[in-house]
Amino acid sequence: MSLTLTVDGPRWRAHLEAVADAQPGIVPVAKGNGYGFTLGRLARRTQWLADRGHDVRTLAVGTYDELPEVAQRWHGDLLVLTPWRPWVPLPDPALAKRLVHTVSRLADLRDLLHADPTARVVLERMTSMLRHGMAARELWEAGDLLRKHPGARVEGLALHLPLGQGTHLGEVTRLVNDYVAAEIPARGRPEVWVSHLTDDELATLRRQYADFTVRPRIGTALWLGDRGALRVTATVLDVHPVERGEAFGYRGRTAPKSGHVLVVSGGTAHGIGLEAPTGEQSIRARAATLARGGLDAVGFVRSPYAIDGKQRLFAEPPHMQASMLFLPHGARVPEVGEEVDVRVRYTATGFDRVVVTD
Amino acid sequence: MPSVRPISPTEHREFLASLPSASFLQTPGWAQVKSEWRSESLGWFDDDGARAGAALVLYRKLPRLNRYLAYLPEGPVIDWGSDDLAAWLTPMVAHLKRQGAFAVRIGPPVVTRRWSTAQVKEGIADPDVRLLGQIPPAERTPAGARVVAQLHELGWRHQGVEGGFAAGQPQFVFQIPLRHPDGAQRTEDEVLKGMNQLWRRNIKKAAKEGVEVVRGGREDLKAFHDLYVHTAERDHFTPRPLRYFETMYDALRADAPERFTLWLARHDGDLVASTIAIRVGEHAWYSYGASSTEKREVRGSNAVQWAMIRDAIDAGAAVYDLRGITETLDADDPHVGLIQFKVGTGGEAVEHAGEWDLPLNRPLYKAFEVYLARRGG
Repeated sequence: MSLTLTVDGPRWRAHLEAVADAQPGIVPVAKGNGYGFTLGRLARRTQWLADRGHDVRTLAVGTYDELPEVAQRWHGDLLVLTPWRPWVPLPDPALAKRLVHTVSRLADLRDLLHADPTARVVLERMTSMLRHGMAARELWEAGDLLRKHPGARVEGLALHLPLGQGTHLGEVTRLVNDYVAAEIPARGRPEVWVSHLTDDELATLRRQYADFTVRPRIGTALWLGDRGALRVTATVLDVHPVERGEAFGYRGRTAPKSGHVLVVSGGTAHGIGLEAPTGEQSIRARAATLARGGLDAVGFVRSPYAIDGKQRLFAEPPHMQASMLFLPHGARVPEVGEEVDVRVRYTATGFDRVVVTD
Repeated sequence: MPSVRPISPTEHREFLASLPSASFLQTPGWAQVKSEWRSESLGWFDDDGARAGAALVLYRKLPRLNRYLAYLPEGPVIDWGSDDLAAWLTPMVAHLKRQGAFAVRIGPPVVTRRWSTAQVKEGIADPDVRLLGQIPPAERTPAGARVVAQLHELGWRHQGVEGGFAAGQPQFVFQIPLRHPDGAQRTEDEVLKGMNQLWRRNIKKAAKEGVEVVRGGREDLKAFHDLYVHTAERDHFTPRPLRYFETMYDALRADAPERFTLWLARHDGDLVASTIAIRVGEHAWYSYGASSTEKREVRGSNAVQWAMIRDAIDAGAAVYDLRGITETLDADDPHVGLIQFKVGTGGEAVEHAGEWDLPLNRPLYKAFEVYLARRGG
């Protein structure tokens, strides 16, 4: 009856352990829809990794609002990736002790230390992405400020690098140099918290900055890194034969030729049929997106549902919790209750059920 | 904001004399050593007209064009601790541009990283370590990092070197600190204790063998040079002519007598090693060296080094500088022997900020890079 994510448990867990082994100091990222798994599940899984002896000390969430979802299920430190702003209320003292704030502006650092002189922070340095972060000189001033706040605890430098366009190492070297220049008071070894570096880049970074601890923040490559362990299926809820010209559906569309209309689980409530912009940048990919939008006006649109390995068209725009597909004459007609494969973007899909097999 | 104008060699000399030290490549005398380049002494003056900085600029002409690379080796001599380097560099660049520079190359004399003897030795022993930069330094200096950050900010480009020596001045050098962290002078005994056993044994051996180390005069430069040419043949490098050292002797000693000292180590009347030491204020350098192939067992090289180190301690120098090392720690690299020799002194490997270029005319700068690449650096 539902849109289901089925996880091959042993294979998925083996992958998680392999990533954690390869990346000591890893900071698992659980944010948004929890990469399809839900935040709570990822928090428990992070705890499981730590319990199994992997070097996992901090779990990262995207926003302060996500903290309650994970705080009870994971017992280590928590990092919020969205930089703290003055309107963000500080959590109760018990949670505050575990919480590492990302601070990306000098004024925010001042306000935060005023509100909580013992706050734990990572200082975000602006990267070529130009999203959040301090400029080199702001970081120097942060150093001056922090030297006056011995109670504050700086966990390290945070870098949010753009997705791999060539190598990042030149940029990272420059940004870490700015951190050295800022003379940030540190307890123990200074740390660099980074995301989106390749394994090779991380290895080089660890070598060149062996006096630093490198903390890779990893989400997609951790939770979704082994796609073969994941399967998304929908249930066939109904099957109706239609003749050419026959009307069906909410909008009284007519069938273009004879075949079957299938009602399957999964709709806009799950994120099905909502065109999420993809990361694809090629002209061809963009043209294809346009073409799909154009098709919508005149005919049927390709759906993410596949029957016997072939992607099928939407017979009409998806509904809240179900979608109608068109199956032309000649294809095998699935039975009601049968499961069919669905191709989704995990970060944009809400599943009814997540089944992790033992 | 300080202003910049040309100054006389006398003014230049007087300003340097007011500082604890400066690179000898930034002394007015050095201009005469590099007589193939046009040169100029520059001064920085604050709003009250007081001297605030100085530089020796070497203008290197582009072939067939009336345009120059303005080169300030290991300089300029300004307040590199400033958080506003733009205030120092901008008027200098404007002046150099008016002089026909298509690009400016500087070598900020600031330390960015240091490695102890033990760290360098571990690095050489570890087959996975190829470069000094691959081992965590004992120190990364915030002051050096600030200079690097500001140069990036101001559009200067680091002239990277990997492995070997770059065309310009070495970014990595080996130095023996001659003072304790509290500023007290280290004794000869303390420096000797910091050396490895081989060095100490060799120094002792030279003494036992009766090697005599003396200072030489200008007339001894010929003897130095003969041995140096012999060394060049043995070690496969191109020797400089005698005239070069005579010029250096005259020019540097005219600035200040301690700037240039010739050292000769003899055994039974045979010259077994000879070196040139340079000192500017608190900074002593081992500059050139030559050694005989015969009688290596009397350890003339160690004896002459030890004499230079003792002399630097006597003069109250803060550092004895064995100058450039390559960044390589690869045990198979031929350069590693040089590092091992220097590491035996028990000093530290020091990284400077390196050389930085500011292109003023991009097409010409590009052409210059191509030209350098063709020449093989």
